[in-house]
Amino acid sequence: MKNFKLKRSLTLIAASSMLSLTLVSVPTVAQATPACTTANFVTTCLGATSDAAPYMMMVPANFNGTVYLYSHGYRPNVPVPAGIPGYGGYTVTNTPEPVPGGNAQIIGALLGKGYAVMGSGFVRQGWNADSAIKTNVELIGVFKRQFTKTTKVVAWGNSLGGFITQALAEKHPDLVSAAAPLCMASDLGPLMTMAGDALWGIKTFFDPTIKGGGYSAGQAGYAEAMGDLVKVFTVIGALQAAIAANATAPAWPATSKVPDAIKAIPSRSALVMIALMSGVPLRSAHFDSTSAPAGIPATSALAFQQAINPALAALENLANAAALAVLATHDLELQAGGAIFDNTATDYAARVAEEQFIWPIALTGASGTRGLLSFLAAAPRAKANPVAVAKLATLTSHSGKVEIPTILFTAPADPVTIGGNQQSVVDKYEAYWTEKWAANRKAGVRSKPKNNQLVLWNFAPEKYTKFTAAGSPDTTAPAATGTNHCNFSVSQYLAIADMLAYAADNGKNLSGGALLTKLRKAKNMTFDRGYVAPRMKSLGG
Amino acid sequence: MIRKTRRKRNWFAAAVLAAGSLLATSLPAHAETGVTISTIKLGITLPLTGAASPGYNKIGNAMDAYFKYVNDNGGVYGRKIQLIQKDDQYSPQLSIAKTNELILKDKVFALVGPLGTANFTAVHKSVGLQRRGIPSLFLNTGFSGFAIKNKYPTSFTILPSYAMEAKIVSQFLKENFAGKKLGLVYQNDEFGIDALGAFTAAGVKFDVSVPYTNGTQSAATAQTWVSQLAAGGAQVVVFFGVTSATAPLLAVAAAARYAPQWILGSVGSDPLTLQALGVPVAVLNGALTPAGNPSPNDLTDEYVKQFQEINSKYNKAAFDDYVLQGMNLGLMTVQALRAAGPGLTRRGLIRALETKGSTFASVAYSPLGYSKTSNIGHTGYYMAVMGPTGDRKPFGGTVTLYTTDSGNGPVVKSNFKRPAMPAKGLPNNS
Repeated sequence: MKNFKLKRSLTLIAASSMLSLTLVSVPTVAQATPACTTANFVTTCLGATSDAAPYMMMVPANFNGTVYLYSHGYRPNVPVPAGIPGYGGYTVTNTPEPVPGGNAQIIGALLGKGYAVMGSGFVRQGWNADSAIKTNVELIGVFKRQFTKTTKVVAWGNSLGGFITQALAEKHPDLVSAAAPLCMASDLGPLMTMAGDALWGIKTFFDPTIKGGGYSAGQAGYAEAMGDLVKVFTVIGALQAAIAANATAPAWPATSKVPDAIKAIPSRSALVMIALMSGVPLRSAHFDSTSAPAGIPATSALAFQQAINPALAALENLANAAALAVLATHDLELQAGGAIFDNTATDYAARVAEEQFIWPIALTGASGTRGLLSFLAAAPRAKANPVAVAKLATLTSHSGKVEIPTILFTAPADPVTIGGNQQSVVDKYEAYWTEKWAANRKAGVRSKPKNNQLVLWNFAPEKYTKFTAAGSPDTTAPAATGTNHCNFSVSQYLAIADMLAYAADNGKNLSGGALLTKLRKAKNMTFDRGYVAPRMKSLGG
Repeated sequence: MIRKTRRKRNWFAAAVLAAGSLLATSLPAHAETGVTISTIKLGITLPLTGAASPGYNKIGNAMDAYFKYVNDNGGVYGRKIQLIQKDDQYSPQLSIAKTNELILKDKVFALVGPLGTANFTAVHKSVGLQRRGIPSLFLNTGFSGFAIKNKYPTSFTILPSYAMEAKIVSQFLKENFAGKKLGLVYQNDEFGIDALGAFTAAGVKFDVSVPYTNGTQSAATAQTWVSQLAAGGAQVVVFFGVTSATAPLLAVAAAARYAPQWILGSVGSDPLTLQALGVPVAVLNGALTPAGNPSPNDLTDEYVKQFQEINSKYNKAAFDDYVLQGMNLGLMTVQALRAAGPGLTRRGLIRALETKGSTFASVAYSPLGYSKTSNIGHTGYYMAVMGPTGDRKPFGGTVTLYTTDSGNGPVVKSNFKRPAMPAKGLPNNS
């Protein structure tokens, strides 16, 4: 296998998707009524709810009575210095986001149809679901008072905003007519276990000086977390360079302390092991775990398809999972009062019991798998603070019980909120529906309960890895559809918006041929009742 | 005028609807995905291109040829079988995508002969075959992990497992090569590990053991294998790997004039595939191999004779073990479809396999293990010796069939008599 160079450094998507905001100047103190201005037949109102969370409303002159309430995704609650490799700089902001990413095309399309849009920037960043739900409830009241023509509120949101949206649908069906949690985070436990496993794997295999949690209080803890980010991206950079130099047997980073016997296994296999044991997908923005450069010998092509491409996918996705792990762990430990990640009882061999048969070449066969697992089994584990874990459990979680139409949409290969998040809400709703159906039958009611949940998936194409003329992977192309975090097209967002409006007007989700036509036109949206996304690893996936 | 037109249209619409409902009532009440009054749609994923494709890429066409033969002779209860082949290049991710395509786009009734352990593991995990109730007949892999009925309730294996194969080879080694220095070259994944576990359980100790990771096989790596085997003085070498690894192993050994007694596993010993990979078949001369089927050249065998005739008319491919296997998968499938009856449903097909599958006619010499509690196909092998043309004959002149299981059960010599080939190769079972 010849060496190759990645045409461009792997880039992080978590940061960019979190931070693509519309920057507007908004009040930061509570106001009884918003400050509104009208231009070009659109009234734009800015204000702050009683918790000082800034909001933004945009209402067209021909307002039809339905408003879209958008909840934005996770934004770190601490700044990230510009010098941190791979991550760029980030300043904490609570700029309101009335539609996904503040996208002007989406705003224009909705306002053009007579819909209003609004969104809060929330008062606190980081994991803020409980306070954000209260903020949104208040915001709905403010909007209705300001625009008395309002008849319906539909909620949508990305990532953490998807979590908030699902919770709104479950807790406030009186306020919201329909809801669309998108690329949603579900319950914190499984989500942070995935991120924690990924970070612990990177620490254990590649740099044991990564703290990985249990951060100190105050400024010292902040410094530790930022230090971890630097170390994680230094490891990612070292692995990237090693694979570029020798894709078949890339060296281990200099910071790794694994014994020589383990170093005899290519470091790329450790990357794949981390992805598999934590549940991070092996399809990333640019690597499909299937393609090989044209013109190489058949055996080399097989090795590239099944060993090198998956390792590069793992590398690209783990960068995002680890960034989430550092930033969210730091944030949640502050909220919970101690370490939250615990893998003292985790059986990583059981986690990959099936996957090891799917990826034997990537894992350097049974002996490679055995070696990596035995090292993990003997490695020091992370222990959580039970009080902190108990506190974490008091934060809002999803019941899955919705009485209004909801539309779920995500990519199974999302590296941050992996498809298992959406699947867990699907599973919970299925259990709830089954329970209701059993109760109906017991009560002599023959009709099945209404299905309020429309589940959609954004699958990645079969093949999408691109190669340069020299045969090196080309990562300059935009991320493939169905990969990356919340990587939806405008047409997909608008299809969701249309379906939300239909659901709000009709009290049920779009179905049948009309649904399929809508999905086909939007592209890369699949309705498949039989599909079950891989479940979160801590939930048995 | 407007009202009159509307009435006309209403009348026309009502007539169309009525005709439609008449048509609907004439269709079987059990209408099932992939089944119409005149067709049954089946699907298979396998490597048609890529490194793993030589040999395997013949299986689909051979099945299809057999189905065409059946279709030309009345089909299955009047329905013609359509087989859709999808190239997964042996990539698990592609297997998932292609299987989804078969299910969601092509809307096949069942999968038949999906190939590859990693591939089917990935498909089973990601596509939800069990949840969808989709029958997966005759998996083309010997991984014993699939023989767990409650985990794979809609799937049925066909090949004896790698563990069964290793147990039988172990018995053969004890009976024929006691005291010799033993070597083993095995694929370092579930394939070889399945075998390794069985060898260990059987008490066979190898003096030299060489694992290789699939994808790394080449003349250069084979050089290191041969060096290790020769240095260890291995007099009998068992090989458990794919044909793309057999080829460099035997070629390098021949060039180095290293000539142990080869025992080649059933997966990696197809002469035509070796030839296609540039290895003279003469290197196979004297090699031993566990075999489930008769030689594809044995025209005294009623199955081989019939399949060769079908192949010459409908397929025109060089007739080898892969073609024989593909034809036999077709034969098994047709019996399963017939056993499920004219009111074909997915559940009915699975039930038919469970209740009648063990009686199906099949070219392989060993019994079929299907039952309500077992999804295991064939359960045994005989040992064969290969000639200078790559043809094989039973070791010792006659077929001595060994049967066993994938667990701790004994290896026994069996007197099982396989069912006769249905007349003209056309099953009439029900």
